[in-house]
Amino acid sequence: MDSNSSKNNAGRLSEPGRVHSRFASLAAAEYGLSSAAAPATHQPEKKIRLVSEAQGGMDRSCHQEVFTVGEGEHLDITFIVLPGTSAEIPVTVDITGPGAEVELKGIYLSSGTDNVTFDITMNHRVGGSISRQLFNGLATDKAKCAFNGKIIVAQDAQKTEAYQENHNIVLSDDATVDTKPQLEIYADDVKCSHGATVGKLNEDEQFYMRSRGIPEDEAKVLQMISFVAPVLAGIEDEDLTAKIENAIRSL
Amino acid sequence: MSLLKITGLRAGIGDKEILKGIDLEIGPGEIHAVMGPNGAGKSTLSAVLTGKPDYEVTAGTIEFMGRNLLEMKPEERAWAGLFMSFQYPIEIPGVSITNFMKTAINSKRKSEGLGPIKGGDFLKLMKEKMALVQMKPEFAKREVNVGFSGGEKKRNEIFQMAMLDPVLAILDETDSGLDVDALKIVADGVNALHTPEKSAIVITHYQKLLEYVKPDKVHILKDGKIVAEGGRELIDKIESDGFEQF
Repeated sequence: MDSNSSKNNAGRLSEPGRVHSRFASLAAAEYGLSSAAAPATHQPEKKIRLVSEAQGGMDRSCHQEVFTVGEGEHLDITFIVLPGTSAEIPVTVDITGPGAEVELKGIYLSSGTDNVTFDITMNHRVGGSISRQLFNGLATDKAKCAFNGKIIVAQDAQKTEAYQENHNIVLSDDATVDTKPQLEIYADDVKCSHGATVGKLNEDEQFYMRSRGIPEDEAKVLQMISFVAPVLAGIEDEDLTAKIENAIRSL
Repeated sequence: MSLLKITGLRAGIGDKEILKGIDLEIGPGEIHAVMGPNGAGKSTLSAVLTGKPDYEVTAGTIEFMGRNLLEMKPEERAWAGLFMSFQYPIEIPGVSITNFMKTAINSKRKSEGLGPIKGGDFLKLMKEKMALVQMKPEFAKREVNVGFSGGEKKRNEIFQMAMLDPVLAILDETDSGLDVDALKIVADGVNALHTPEKSAIVITHYQKLLEYVKPDKVHILKDGKIVAEGGRELIDKIESDGFEQF
């Protein structure tokens, strides 16, 4: 399956400028790369979860996350799974008030015998809020990745907007990706959508780049970097983005 | 020494043989036109020259600057100075024109044992070549060909050609889908790059571009073979009596 559509779709649903510049107050414990001082009200507070424990094929760590997002609150969180990681990542977001905005994103770079599963539950308990999910994955060797994305919209949660996208690129014959979007919508005045793609790196793009003197491996790296770029937009930590680029080169 | 020497080339795709024995020689500083009706083998010829996957050469040789072209990877052919302006340039979402050109230039430099191009030098080069092809400065940030009109894509091809400064430029049906103004920009770009050492092959169905880029020699390709060769008078012959006369 040609991946042109996946690359065109990946990430166009949320533009960097739109993402939240409010501090999200959350009930759940926070760890990870948040800044030491409490951010000012108008500063963007992007939470990053770096999942990078080296694991053998059978041994999987579990990274359970539960977030409660109340009225007018914002949650902006990006998961980054690096190669050499096997993990189960169940994430639940409970939206309990109107005017809330949730941006849930992730990239997973899987190689060897990595086994990575995301179980997302986006729970719109009340209406008038918006959630966006964007998860892009690259799988090679014998990696197994799964994305289970559930959106639940309660019966009275009118004027909910809930969007989900999961795009995957498979780099080897033995890597597998399972993507399962689920929508349980009980309200009738909502805007919800989901999209999932699984494909390969586009060979016509590679040939075009090679005809300009860009070697095959470098062309693929460019494609992979641009594939994850929409998810990483707005991340300013240069050490982190360099780490991600190196991880991509290692795939 | 000829720049490009094609001898007895037979090539096709899958089971289908499309080129049935082509001989073609191009010297330094020459502009050649390869004209022919649809299905003649023009696309196959450019695919074989650039090393496009899926195309198979079943017989013959191609020498480029004295080297065996068919043994070279597409990127190696680019480093050796071959460039093709594609008929249908592909979109590369997420990669800016600036990043694309910088990576291409640095890849070539690396193959020559040089370090990456200096930031200032690169910016200067970009500015100069964008002006040459009348490309607006904001295009530098645009993703390669994404959302470009046909004319803008062709202009981008000529821009890349100017940036990479090839020894042999192949223009693949460049004049299809261009209005007269864009046609002139393509022609001006090509003519500016044409020097006594550099050559070009214009592969085309129509003679319109050849009014602006005047070839030294014309080859007529039909049913996979070169059926006629001559000077510019051949273009007039096609204009009046079509390809059927050959």
